Amino acid sequence: MSSFEPSSEMPRDGAGALEGGALLSVHLSVDYRNKPGVLRDVVFDIFPGEIFGLIGASGSGKSTIALAILRLLETRGGSVRGSVRLEGRELLTRGEKEMRDLRGRKIALVPQSPLSALNPALRLEAHLREAWRAHASSPWKEARGSVQQLLRRLELPADDAFLRRYPHQVSVGQAQRVLVAMAVLHRPALLIADEPTSALDTVAQHEFLDLLHGLNREFAMATLYISHDLVSVAAICGRVGVLMGGRLARCGPVETLIGAGGLSALAGRVAPNSLAIGDQPLAGRHGASGAAALLHGSE
Amino acid sequence: MRRAATAILGAILIVLLCADWIAPHGYQQQFRADAGAAPCRQYRLGTDALGRDRLSRLIYGGRVSMLLAPLAALLAVTLALLVGLIAGCMGGWWERAVVTAMDLCLSLPWLFLLLAVRAMLPLNASPAASIVVTFALLGLLGWAGPSRIVLAAVKRHLASDFVLAACSEGCPPWRIALVQVLPNLRPVAAAQFWVTAPAFLLTEANLGLLGLGVAEPAPSWGNLLRELENLSQVARNPWMAAPLVALVVVVSCFQLAISTGEIEA
Repeated sequence: MSSFEPSSEMPRDGAGALEGGALLSVHLSVDYRNKPGVLRDVVFDIFPGEIFGLIGASGSGKSTIALAILRLLETRGGSVRGSVRLEGRELLTRGEKEMRDLRGRKIALVPQSPLSALNPALRLEAHLREAWRAHASSPWKEARGSVQQLLRRLELPADDAFLRRYPHQVSVGQAQRVLVAMAVLHRPALLIADEPTSALDTVAQHEFLDLLHGLNREFAMATLYISHDLVSVAAICGRVGVLMGGRLARCGPVETLIGAGGLSALAGRVAPNSLAIGDQPLAGRHGASGAAALLHGSE
Repeated sequence: MRRAATAILGAILIVLLCADWIAPHGYQQQFRADAGAAPCRQYRLGTDALGRDRLSRLIYGGRVSMLLAPLAALLAVTLALLVGLIAGCMGGWWERAVVTAMDLCLSLPWLFLLLAVRAMLPLNASPAASIVVTFALLGLLGWAGPSRIVLAAVKRHLASDFVLAACSEGCPPWRIALVQVLPNLRPVAAAQFWVTAPAFLLTEANLGLLGLGVAEPAPSWGNLLRELENLSQVARNPWMAAPLVALVVVVSCFQLAISTGEIEA
């Protein structure tokens, strides 16, 4: 870790001025045993309450960043160098017990694939109960009511019959929302959503993004939104980082990057289906022109 | 096929459980006047050299073998689950130690080990003690094979997305082991049970044949096979082979039940 030197050419558009108040400051490099240099000097900050988008082609190391922040990359055979600071405190040097206390309580993850992220042998209630028990001492029976309320907020059926279901008995969209419920159960300061819409159909994607945006405002919860879908990133994110070839090629407010053609640098490397929702209202946050610019750049 | 096998096993189990009502005589009741009798109305499978009814001994012997072999298999699979789960979840030094112990255990001549341990116990042990000791030994020594499979399954589940998700929620390792991984081991444990139970049935038969299994006068399918040592007599009195037939039928049914079950799994 001591040999780590930040790259002087690292773009830090827009972030520098606000650095003092950053919720999360990331400056890391990642190596896998068989694949060194997966991420090199990736630097970005996330501020309280904002939605930060991280965009990049498949295999560019987006999910690696999510696991590195949570210090779970070791379980996947990766090693992290550099620094990850949450509210000014370094995470990479913390003990596993301290990290466990932070995971789910301060930083939560919505994994990429909803059906494989839910345990096939456990009922939905057991999933929620386990997530609850990880950080709460009050009995599940007492918490159950408020968790059911949260499920209703996430537009899920919250009745006993639904909670008794197994993951294979619910739709992908419902499974994804259960994962969101588990993630926001303890009102984390930072929610990491790792390609949460990749398994959803277009309509469900749209609804899910609305939900994520709503939760962000309601719980004042910063969100790291990882995606390869330009339109959804443009729709809900305030600032965006573009990951290319293991480096953060650009980072800054979404309007600036669209204007500068920064996002269109990824043109042709994004999934074609990501363009299908370009004309839908979810892109409204940055107006039709933003979405059009993205569409134009992707052709 | 699987249904037929399970039905046969079920029927045999019912007969064995109702032994007290179905068996015509007690297993140690001697009819000295009729020693070595051929099959007749009173003794359907004849009597042995001590004048005991073979059919009754077959039924009571089946009760010992068929109830205790699965119990021993349950013990072995439980141990395997415990060892595999702890080794897999702890990893590192623990896992290496357990894998070494497993390899060592699997490379030992199993039957010889059983014989040696059983032979160390007094030969004149009471029948009840010999039954318990024989099957406890089978259970205690049979953990290695199943735990290798369990360990592989534990490692697979630990690398799964749902365990990663549980880690990201801050769940402690012991809850991940017990709540996330253990319920997923049920199919593996069940398959191991169905493989181990008939193997123990056969091992008990081997031990019984050598006089180191269940002690007389308590019957088991193993010690009933001792009569078959005298081949010329068996050729003249083929009904003496009834315990062997019963054993083959039961083990075949177990195998049929597993093979179809594994394909489904």
